Amino acid sequence: MGTKSVINTDRLYWLGRYSERVYTTLKLFGKSFDELIEQMTQTDYSKFCSTLEIPNIYTDKDDFIARYPFDPTDPNSIISNLTRAYDNAIELREEIGSEALSYIQMALYSMQKAKEDQAPAIEFQDVIDDILAFWGIVDDQIDDENTRNIIKVGKRVERLDLYARLKMSRVDINREVQRLAGRIDRCSLRYRTQSITELLDAVRAESLDYPAILKSVESILEV
Amino acid sequence: MNNFDLLDRTDTINGLLARYGVKFGIYKNGTFKEQLFPFDAIPRVIEKEEFAYLERGLKQRVAALNLFLKDIYNEKKIVKDGVVPEDFVYAASGYLVPCEGVTPPKGVFSHISGIDLVLGKDGVWYILEDNLRVPSGASYPMIARELCRRASPRTFNETPIEDNRNYAQLLKHTLDYVNTGGLSVVMTPGRYNAAYFEHSYLAEQMRVPLVTYSDLEVENDYLYFKGYAGRKERVGAVYRRISDEYMDPMTFNPESVIGVPHIFDVYRKGNVALLNAPGNGIADDKGIYYFVPKMIKYYLGEEPILHNAPTYLPFYEEDMKYVLEKFDTLVLKDVAEAGGYGVVFGSKMTKAEKEKFIAMLKAEPRRFIAQEVIDFCDIPIQDRGQVVERKVDLRAFVLTAEEPVVWKSGLTRFSRNPDSFIVNSSQGGGFKDTWVLSQ
Repeated sequence: MGTKSVINTDRLYWLGRYSERVYTTLKLFGKSFDELIEQMTQTDYSKFCSTLEIPNIYTDKDDFIARYPFDPTDPNSIISNLTRAYDNAIELREEIGSEALSYIQMALYSMQKAKEDQAPAIEFQDVIDDILAFWGIVDDQIDDENTRNIIKVGKRVERLDLYARLKMSRVDINREVQRLAGRIDRCSLRYRTQSITELLDAVRAESLDYPAILKSVESILEV
Repeated sequence: MNNFDLLDRTDTINGLLARYGVKFGIYKNGTFKEQLFPFDAIPRVIEKEEFAYLERGLKQRVAALNLFLKDIYNEKKIVKDGVVPEDFVYAASGYLVPCEGVTPPKGVFSHISGIDLVLGKDGVWYILEDNLRVPSGASYPMIARELCRRASPRTFNETPIEDNRNYAQLLKHTLDYVNTGGLSVVMTPGRYNAAYFEHSYLAEQMRVPLVTYSDLEVENDYLYFKGYAGRKERVGAVYRRISDEYMDPMTFNPESVIGVPHIFDVYRKGNVALLNAPGNGIADDKGIYYFVPKMIKYYLGEEPILHNAPTYLPFYEEDMKYVLEKFDTLVLKDVAEAGGYGVVFGSKMTKAEKEKFIAMLKAEPRRFIAQEVIDFCDIPIQDRGQVVERKVDLRAFVLTAEEPVVWKSGLTRFSRNPDSFIVNSSQGGGFKDTWVLSQ
């Protein structure tokens, strides 16, 4: 397909971002959930919220465990982000294909199933697997390079955003910056070239300035 | 025919249909919900000779309906010759004044016709209604067939069944045939339309863009698909899955926010094909249905091959008398309704309901038709591990490019309620694949 509509370009980008957000936050939550089994205090989950810059609306540890992954009325919950990924994917069937779409649909079913389970963390593996399979299909079955690259740019932007908030290592940040810089030119997205230059400079600097990285990431499509 | 391994996999197939998002939307109490469309793996089987008969009848009917549309928006000979009373044309909600004098590209009005039939217990096929506006349903047997073949290759290896997976090619050819230059696209009202799955699936299968109003614009009498970063591409054919009244706020409903301003002007000037043509609603009006056999004789000089269900028009004094006499044995339909709504059985009304209805019938006789209740055949379905018999209908699809072509399959819908004749998905029905045997 040649011309791509403005709205579909936007949806592809956000499908990439939300699928990544679900993947990384789910893994992060899984790690925290493990720690919560025996302990974790109010401070610990507050830190989780402040790191991701989401409001701490939870009354206690159990409320956090119940609502952060599964509360559809909480716009920051994992299921809300997964629903947004689905809302974009469902309107992109003719762009990404039924097969790719089916993995986002299955991730949503798996998440709903996890909610009903006594041990939700074990069910999260299915959600993660579905998202990984989705990304695999994006690579393997979407013929249109532009479509593939828009999704991947969304994914890289989101990952950098999260990694900067989580203050990940230089190796991790550098890998994502290089991947983004090598990809963004190969799709039709209009972007701010200065942001890419800033990111490349940031990973070469002596110490990592995480707020500056975040600022560059956030401004990348501001053209 | 041994297809036990296929039947054993009914749940797996339904699971895959859920995985692929094969759903339809429904509004209940003002809230939109997506529902799965239950699939029953016991197929509806139509013998080769029987289908050949249906094929002849359907082609004949669609050919006559196309001629009727061309006539009604141009010369109106059928009205002048007194075959169809003008009351049934100009009072119908589907008759659109702006379509007067407009002949669509290549003269095709009904490119995609969905004709609903039932097989009576008397062995006769009856046409229940013609759908010439935006008939839906082909995508369901298409995808179900794909999954059934995966579930039971042996069944398809051992049984001579016509392949129905060519629907997208037939449809694409239909679009290309009338395309006036440029892209062919599928236009949807959006995700919250009941048939959104079908819109997106057909666009995917045809490899054409799925667009909404915001992706299209009219400039200098041509229609364009607006791309990212200001790129524009001319559009030559729009398979629009949006009702006439919402298509263009400048010509039809001015309050429509999901239409494309001036798209109708582009169409009128012959610069884009709209499938199906606007104004087709006049030909699938429930009141006009009565006259289709007369149209076949009038335009084609042939006897109708397929039968209408015996129908009465209370508009005619004689028919009104019959309807009132036989009220309890008839089914009454409001011509303005669709989707199984506005259908009432005389036998199921209370005395008070009957009196109220008859008063309405007398006040607005043009609004209703009455039909003999066709005792249509039951076929087996699986219901919670049991095989039970339920009512089914068949929506056959006729695609018209150079000439009408009948798709060798169709959507078989069944009622899940043992006492119901209403098979519509919106009323809780399910669907089956329709196998047309090739030998």
